Amino acid sequence: MYKFKLVNTFKLAFRGLSRNRRRSLMTLLTIALGFSAIALFAGYTHNIYSGMSRGVIHGEMLGHLTLSKPGMSKEGKLYPERYLLNADEVNRISELLRSEPHVKLVAPRLAFSGLISNGRASTIFIAEGIEPSALQKIQEGIFTQNEAKRGLYDKMLKKLDPAHTEVVELSSGLAELLHIESQGQAAMLVNTISGQANALDVTLGGTFDTGNAGSNDKYALVSLALAQNLYDAAGHADRLTVLLDGVVQTELMRKRIQTKLHAAGFDLEIKSWNELSSFYNQVHGMFDMIFGFIFLIVLTVVVMSVANSMGMTVIERTREIGTLRSIGLRRAGVVRIFTTEALLLTLIGCATGLLITVLVRYGINVADISYTPPNSVSPTPLLIDLDVRRIVVAFVLMGVVATLAAYLPARRAANKLIIDALGHI
Amino acid sequence: MTNNSTVQPLLRIKDIRRRFMLGETAIEALHGVSLDIHASEFLAVWGPSGSGKSTLMNIIGLIDAPTGGEVWFDGQDTQNLKDNAITDFRGKKIGFVFQSFNLVPVLSALENVMLPLQIQGVSEAIARERAAKALVDVDLEKFKSQRPDKLSGGQRQRVAIARALVVEPRLIIADEPTANLDSENSTMIIDLMRQMNRSKGVTFVFTTHDPRLLEHVDRKVLLRDGLIVQDEVAHV
Repeated sequence: MYKFKLVNTFKLAFRGLSRNRRRSLMTLLTIALGFSAIALFAGYTHNIYSGMSRGVIHGEMLGHLTLSKPGMSKEGKLYPERYLLNADEVNRISELLRSEPHVKLVAPRLAFSGLISNGRASTIFIAEGIEPSALQKIQEGIFTQNEAKRGLYDKMLKKLDPAHTEVVELSSGLAELLHIESQGQAAMLVNTISGQANALDVTLGGTFDTGNAGSNDKYALVSLALAQNLYDAAGHADRLTVLLDGVVQTELMRKRIQTKLHAAGFDLEIKSWNELSSFYNQVHGMFDMIFGFIFLIVLTVVVMSVANSMGMTVIERTREIGTLRSIGLRRAGVVRIFTTEALLLTLIGCATGLLITVLVRYGINVADISYTPPNSVSPTPLLIDLDVRRIVVAFVLMGVVATLAAYLPARRAANKLIIDALGHI
Repeated sequence: MTNNSTVQPLLRIKDIRRRFMLGETAIEALHGVSLDIHASEFLAVWGPSGSGKSTLMNIIGLIDAPTGGEVWFDGQDTQNLKDNAITDFRGKKIGFVFQSFNLVPVLSALENVMLPLQIQGVSEAIARERAAKALVDVDLEKFKSQRPDKLSGGQRQRVAIARALVVEPRLIIADEPTANLDSENSTMIIDLMRQMNRSKGVTFVFTTHDPRLLEHVDRKVLLRDGLIVQDEVAHV
């Protein structure tokens, strides 16, 4: 049985770090800066993901889950009468869902498109019909406290008047295109469910930014009643948006709702917010790729730095290894001392890196830096989160990899003949 | 030869040979050395450089294996022991004093002396107590908190002797323990070893170039060209 206690191994390893202070410091700084780079980038992407998920769920109003008849997304525009949910279905499904835990809101929705005219010129629009109260509720939680305080995204908020169903909200680009001011008049021309042309006069209540340059000159938001009136589909909806009390419940509730609806005789397709937002998935995929690339580079630098440092340490202490072996330390004990030394160096380096991360993060977050991302209509503040999960993963992974990097030189030293080690100069 | 040849020796080596390869050239350092060392002996191996003294010490100390021959320690044949077993055996039964002291520079004198005990799994408190006592034995209790770089050569070698003694070994091997010391310190170190040999009954085997130090030993073994050419009991 191996008898040299772990605490003594740690003591020897810790003291070993102080032998060549400059080299230990350089290795430690390499690890700290590498770890900090990883943690800061992870924090930046975490902030992006979190902002985007809030934008998708609350800003784009996708909610957490979207329920529709199977095939609706592909053929719903061609055969709306086949894929729309009727008033009875909408009511019964809503009733079933509202009794579920974690469900905060069930909102019937109706999307349509057509032409909008100011009397002189017309342009295409894409519109979304939603109940005004549901619109208000779904937008709750769209901003963090800091974002709400700074008011950077106030232009993204939408509001419908429940007392006046003819009042619509237009995206700022669309209102600008048509030169319509608030309380100005316009006419919306659409095809009804049966393919007839239908037009209604609407009043502009206000404008909003979609946050996306591609849709900011096309998007309109109307009350569900107006949408059903225009579409000549009273009580109908093309989908139901479900808002949950937390994003983490999404997958669990999807399965639960699917089972419940199936048991009640409804065959519906349920999609989560991240499945529906291709932009979110693309950005997530791209940043994950960049993160992986940076992580790999940093890990390689750390491994090479630790391996080099430990290699030199082992050579310098060959005679000491011979002495320790002479006085009864087993080969495994030698390996443990040096791998523990590398582990300690990495852990101290990571802890220093974490401290640097916290300081840099604070500096960036209070510096009020903003930038305009590609395809965006408004500037975004540069904010860094503390991504605890990825920080812990980086901590563990760097510790393991650095220990492995020290293992080879340590094993080589442990296997050296004692007389050769003692004779080493 | 010694006069206690009928008693089972602490260490018996029979026809030891040791060959080293220097490139493609084989060098025979020991040509068939046989020697019995009895408990409580104070024995010096001496001879010119290259005579095979250190090679013999390494084999006696079980830190090197002979190319041929047998090494019996305390009645046990050591040649079939696995590495871990021989390491543990060495840790408990043999102490080492090196020419260059070989103390761990980042540990204090006390911690250096505690180290062999801690390697054996002795608790911190007991190891500390025994190490402190060993430092008292070598008259270094006032320096127990000092690191080796704050000690003189003679003091470092006394710490090394305390480190060798602390496990209460049967045998202490000292390869040229005075080679890096001046004559005053050399005499002091040999006297100290002699004193420990007498008070604790520990067997000491050391090598030296210095004929003056041979005046202090019980037995002198002269090695030349890898062979024992003289083995005499001294009259101290």
